[in-house]
Amino acid sequence: MMRRIRAWGPGLVLILPSLIALAIFVYGFLGWNLRVSVSSWRGLAPAHDFVGLANYTALWDDLRFTRFDVPNIALFTVVFVAGALALGFALAALLDRGLPGEQVFRSIYLFPMAISFIATAIIWRWLLDNGEGESTTGINKLFADAGLAWHSDWFKSGSRWAIAAIALPAGWSLSGYVMSLFLAGMRGVPEDLREAARVDGANAPRVFWHVVRPMLLPVLMSAVVILAHISLKTFDLFYAMDQKNIKIDTPALYMWFTTFDGGFYARGAAIAALLLLGVATVIVPYIWYSVRAERR
Amino acid sequence: MIVKPSGIRLEGVGKRFRGGVDAVRDLDLAVAPGEFIVLVGPSGCGKSTVLRMIAGLEEVTSGRILLGDTDVTQELPQRRDVAMVFQSYALYPRMTVRKNMAFGLRMRGTPRTERDRRVAEVARTLGLDHLLERRPAALSGGQRQRVAMGRAIVREPRVFLMDEPLSNLDAKLRVTVRAQLTQLHQRLGVTTVYVTHDQIEAMTLGQRVAVLRDGRLQQFDTPRALFRAPVNLFVAAFIGSPAMNFVPAQIAGGEVRFAGHAIALPLGSPLAGADRRVILGVRPTAFAPAGVGWAQLAVTPAVVEELGDERYVLFDLDAPRVDTDATRAAVSTRTGDDALLLPDETRARFTARLPADLALPASGPLTVSMDPSRLHFFDPDTGAALPGGPESPAAGGP
Amino acid sequence: MTARGDRRIRSRWAPYALTARYLALFTLACFFLMPVYALLVTALKSPVEVSVVRMWQWPHALSLDNFRIVWPKLRDGFGNSVMMALPASVISSLLGAANGFVLAKWRFPGADFVFALILFGMFIPYQAVLIPMFQTMSYTGLRGGLAGLVLVHVIYGLPITTLIFRSYFAGVSEELIEAAKVDGAGMLASFAFIALPIAPPAFAVSMIWQFTSAWNDFLFGVLLTTKDRWPITVALNNIAGSQAVPFNEAMASALLACLPTLLVYILLGRFFLRGLMAGALKG
Repeated sequence: MMRRIRAWGPGLVLILPSLIALAIFVYGFLGWNLRVSVSSWRGLAPAHDFVGLANYTALWDDLRFTRFDVPNIALFTVVFVAGALALGFALAALLDRGLPGEQVFRSIYLFPMAISFIATAIIWRWLLDNGEGESTTGINKLFADAGLAWHSDWFKSGSRWAIAAIALPAGWSLSGYVMSLFLAGMRGVPEDLREAARVDGANAPRVFWHVVRPMLLPVLMSAVVILAHISLKTFDLFYAMDQKNIKIDTPALYMWFTTFDGGFYARGAAIAALLLLGVATVIVPYIWYSVRAERR
Repeated sequence: MIVKPSGIRLEGVGKRFRGGVDAVRDLDLAVAPGEFIVLVGPSGCGKSTVLRMIAGLEEVTSGRILLGDTDVTQELPQRRDVAMVFQSYALYPRMTVRKNMAFGLRMRGTPRTERDRRVAEVARTLGLDHLLERRPAALSGGQRQRVAMGRAIVREPRVFLMDEPLSNLDAKLRVTVRAQLTQLHQRLGVTTVYVTHDQIEAMTLGQRVAVLRDGRLQQFDTPRALFRAPVNLFVAAFIGSPAMNFVPAQIAGGEVRFAGHAIALPLGSPLAGADRRVILGVRPTAFAPAGVGWAQLAVTPAVVEELGDERYVLFDLDAPRVDTDATRAAVSTRTGDDALLLPDETRARFTARLPADLALPASGPLTVSMDPSRLHFFDPDTGAALPGGPESPAAGGP
Repeated sequence: MTARGDRRIRSRWAPYALTARYLALFTLACFFLMPVYALLVTALKSPVEVSVVRMWQWPHALSLDNFRIVWPKLRDGFGNSVMMALPASVISSLLGAANGFVLAKWRFPGADFVFALILFGMFIPYQAVLIPMFQTMSYTGLRGGLAGLVLVHVIYGLPITTLIFRSYFAGVSEELIEAAKVDGAGMLASFAFIALPIAPPAFAVSMIWQFTSAWNDFLFGVLLTTKDRWPITVALNNIAGSQAVPFNEAMASALLACLPTLLVYILLGRFFLRGLMAGALKG
């Protein structure tokens, strides 16, 4: 026992500051937030009472939350995750076998990742502008100039699909990342395996289907989990895009405005708790799987 | 260099890994001060675990480990006065050769001048003088191996531990360095425990060799004794190259009968009056060309391997192959790995070492003779050696 | 990709397939560069020439006037972000290095479980800690200034920096650390003399990643700082975040705000990518 303490002790001591900080700022704060979500805190002074699940049931009856935020974020998540996966996968597939100029293309697809969501939103807000006639601009203008009469009425129009348009800047920002993930996965397939399949008579598509595809499943899982959790918690992209537009309202935005503009702390905490629940359902199995897979 | 070597004693040492795998079971081993011993066995036999327990890198589940008179069972590796040479050499990549060699002394607070003196001295011995300012990445495999040795020697430890230190060298260099290791040990006289899976390395290096299998000590003796008088089927099959030949046999009426042959037991054999099943073991070197007065055997060569001044004649006997856990463990690198290319060959195959100038018949049978005094007998059920084989050199000696 | 690949025998359709691939890659590259084009031409036009309707047109004359207009408004935010992002990335990388070393090479029972607990902090929606954070920072007086912002970036950066260093040290041979132990080195000596000297690549990955995320963060900045301490993202949003702001000024501000991370990406893209990969765990 003494030997064990002497062997492990110093390491534990070294990481203790980090562990304490994370214990407070992650787990302590999450618990604290849960506590706030079952209080009636409204306004400046914290309330320490207990109202049970009242804030949650109130959200259930809250049209902004149930009619707009939840369907909005669900729609956005589906469009964004599917779109970024498809685009990222296509890019990786195009680059996989290598060709001159690959490095340049890869850099072009990846650089939006380095730009903040705020700047991304500011640029794209102008690109997605849906002025008509004389004031046509942005992408619509570009397509019109190119002779393509393709007019979007997604954004800022009455369409329920407005939020799906935000998947465009979000996908612009992150599909290069998905590409990198897939590319790493594809390149991780040993050349021997592909060559063995070629010698066995498989053509390129069948090599992909029978040899490469099965090995990409973990990558696909990683990509889906990462994109989905980003989608759920993203705040600044929507905020800078058009903060007071109900068509692109999400739980993350609602939480911010109701808490820090409206002073409805308890309601904000309840929304945040539901967000945490949503993220945790994808993330916890993912972490559990990753750490277990690594141990094997 | 003056070192005071200390002995090593393992008393009932066991190691159980998480998940309940017993890597080492109830091991007793005493190494005399200044002795060079080798731990040998197939992969997974526990030899590396034993070494790592002596180093303190692995916790001991049961039993005690003593270095000299000190019980170090509960001591951390950094507090035991041992030096270790690793299979990968484990040279610190960002340090020069000089700093690599001096690191252990620095950690133990040896003054700088003393460090420099000792590094210089060892570097001269090993011919590393001109490499002292290089980084490990700029060294060849053989040079790295020498630096790893040097780093251990500089420490002047009570014990050297070596974990397959030659396995990353190419085959020819390995043979050269092997011989120099023996010389080095004669010069330094430090107690050394050396781990290898290669029985030739074990036989050539060790003053005594401990053969392990499945975490249990099979036999701990001089190389000669291991070869001449293996205590069981596993040691017999593991030690010696080419390996000992085995065939199921019956002893009755003062002779041993196998595959249609019958050979008279030597006079006075303890088995002469027995009537029982055995496994007969014959070393390839116990064969000779026909006509030297030994037992004659007519065989049909299946494969002939030319080695220059000798040749191995492989022939099949009309008897089933001896295929026990012990023989399988001895031939495969991984325990229980069935690596036969032609598993449908189920007959017992023998290898006989014969002189290269012996004329072989173009086809048909070849008669060879077999030394009846060099037959080994094993119990088919337990695998234990039966009396009646060659005597241990310690007991009777040639 | 490899020399071997280049010499592969190709089918006779290969040239057409290659052309098709280039065409596809080029079209997609245009999609990715389109916003940059709009950004650049707008920012470089003189203010009089700028018109939203003519945003795709090439400028008649290059002009830096837009930058001259917006720079004074962004300067403070820029400075604040530098003063915040640099210490945040250095400190959380140093702590991450220690954590990663212990969790990979000086493991204690339950290390994997502790690691999983740490990792979870990387994925939480920050909305779920905002209210307690706001209260704590207000109570301790850390809200308003940069120190509090640095603190939260350090702490919430720990999971990813720990992950980066743990993965890096996991790739270091076990025997290296064992050799140090046998040589008499304890935990701190092994970390300082053996692990740290080989860790510069991991430091590059970790610092770049942390710098980029701290620079690009908006949520913590807007929650924890007051006007004169706004980081660049908050300042940018307040300058350019409404339709009422002139189009050219919005674009010029966005460009200025992106410059540091874009520079890092262009100069150190290789490490940036490795940071991305670390974020995907090793599933």
